[in-house]
Amino acid sequence: MTSAVLQAINGVSLAALLFLLASGFTLSFGLMRVVNMAHGAYYLFGGYIGLTLAEKTGSFAVAIVGGGAAVVVIGFLIDRFLIRRTGENHLAQVLLTVGVAFVIGDVALALWGGDNLKVQAPAFLRGAVVLPGEIYYPMYRFVLIFFGVFVGALLWLLYHRTQLGAVVRAGVDDREQVNATGINVDRLFVMVSGLASFLAGMAGVVGGAFLTLYPGAEWEILVYALVVVIVGGLGSLEGAMIGALIVGLLDAYGRWLLPEFSYFVLFGPIALLMLFRPRGLFGREH
Amino acid sequence: MDHARIVFGLVALAAALALPYYAGPFWTGLATQMLIFGLLALSVDLLLGHAGLFSLTHASFFAVSAYTVAILQVRYGVSTALAAPAGICAGTLLALVFGLAVRTRGVYFILITIAFGFVVWGVAHRWSSFTGGDNGVTNVPFPALGGLAVTSHTQYYYLVLAAVVACGLGYRVLIRSPFGLGLRGIKASESRMRSLGFRTGLHLYAAFVLSGALASFAGVLYVYYNKFVNPVAASFPISVEAALMAIIGGTGTIIGPFIGSGIVLGLRNWVSSFFELHLAVMGAVFIAAVLWAPDGLVGLAGRLRARMERAKEAGRP
Repeated sequence: MTSAVLQAINGVSLAALLFLLASGFTLSFGLMRVVNMAHGAYYLFGGYIGLTLAEKTGSFAVAIVGGGAAVVVIGFLIDRFLIRRTGENHLAQVLLTVGVAFVIGDVALALWGGDNLKVQAPAFLRGAVVLPGEIYYPMYRFVLIFFGVFVGALLWLLYHRTQLGAVVRAGVDDREQVNATGINVDRLFVMVSGLASFLAGMAGVVGGAFLTLYPGAEWEILVYALVVVIVGGLGSLEGAMIGALIVGLLDAYGRWLLPEFSYFVLFGPIALLMLFRPRGLFGREH
Repeated sequence: MDHARIVFGLVALAAALALPYYAGPFWTGLATQMLIFGLLALSVDLLLGHAGLFSLTHASFFAVSAYTVAILQVRYGVSTALAAPAGICAGTLLALVFGLAVRTRGVYFILITIAFGFVVWGVAHRWSSFTGGDNGVTNVPFPALGGLAVTSHTQYYYLVLAAVVACGLGYRVLIRSPFGLGLRGIKASESRMRSLGFRTGLHLYAAFVLSGALASFAGVLYVYYNKFVNPVAASFPISVEAALMAIIGGTGTIIGPFIGSGIVLGLRNWVSSFFELHLAVMGAVFIAAVLWAPDGLVGLAGRLRARMERAKEAGRP
């Protein structure tokens, strides 16, 4: 019983991390129709920058902001000079951004080496928290759940309760119409893709403190994020939340009950969805 | 078929047949790889070039069939006559399951096939009691059929060449058949094909399974050449590279994927001899291919030829 509860907490805290990554992916698809396969590489790169910053300054907050900001810069350049040129051709975008991910991954390997590296969490987040029922749980992963909820709530408010969010939602529905009303769609794109990049880089620092960073981590985390958006539906923030929870819990219980097939557990929800709802829970026609 | 193409085909075949005599073992080995991965790229292109579906899970069929052959031959001492067909069957069975993906289109299809590919990679990687984990399965022998056994890489090259030529001819028949025309019809306009009474979902599903079977066959050829198989065979870069080969060479053609495979493998071999970051170089090739040669080299050649013909016509009085 205790382990079942532990796995549930594990699942939810993984879901918090996955949400950070998947929300950016899904928002940039929803608004800009861009499939950015380099998102995993953004995660890894942000994590590595954060790692170096945490070592240099000793501050986790600096690491998170710095890791996110570094990815915003790189993401902007890649968006402007490469992705923009593919128009709305998804095939070209996928190939191009996979290429970008290979380049980033290989450069990161050259700079940070091939070992598993761990971002140093701040002192007050180390150690364990005692939950009701004498359950000891790592403080860091426990707090991560609240951080995920906090970011999710901020994004939800931004998306549904601000003027910027209204413009973005309108852009998701009908981009030409938004452009025709005189809103600078181009600037909107830069802002949303910047936000997505920041979330990915920040996720790298946050995830790097408990999942560690290593070559190949970019693809492992990307697949989880992809399953999240497939399950939740591309372009939907709520879908990313629900999808992250489903994938996080399935993964935690999968690792516990079927350790050798934990990846296989991810296959189940996608297969079922394809039979009954090919566009995901909250997805629409694209 | 015009005469120029027949002559070109015969010259290419003669050059391929004579290759081991003038090129030496290194180039013969590279040519074997080029043919095997070209076949994998061709299987990807059946969906990409003819049906308009971009699959990124073909390394799965390739690897599952390679693993099946390796495990049967090495661990259970099964003969090639049984292991090779079993490999193709295993890969094709997986394609029957993954074929579910044709219920989706566009981006969803791409993303779902990526996720499927990682599932297979994850199983190969983590189910170490059966797949051997990261070490994989080693010491796969050359194929032997009854009293006939392949004993050298040169002999194996000829076997692969024969298999690839046979597949190429079969593929040609397939894409010129009503089935192949139907596929291209779906690529051009699925709704129109549906209103003409075609069951487009079933059509695409059949194409997906056929394409998976072809990728499985490439996997069989691969494992006998490589002598071992590990999770790398199932990994995402293999799937993307196969698609890249088809795109660089030119989609919707038969020779294109093989040209693309030659370019990608040749480039990787050359680059990795002096530069450590060869994955970064591959990434740069992806980017360059997308930005500057979206129709591939065959497409580029076609465009150049069209321009020359236009120039010629303009020059006429």
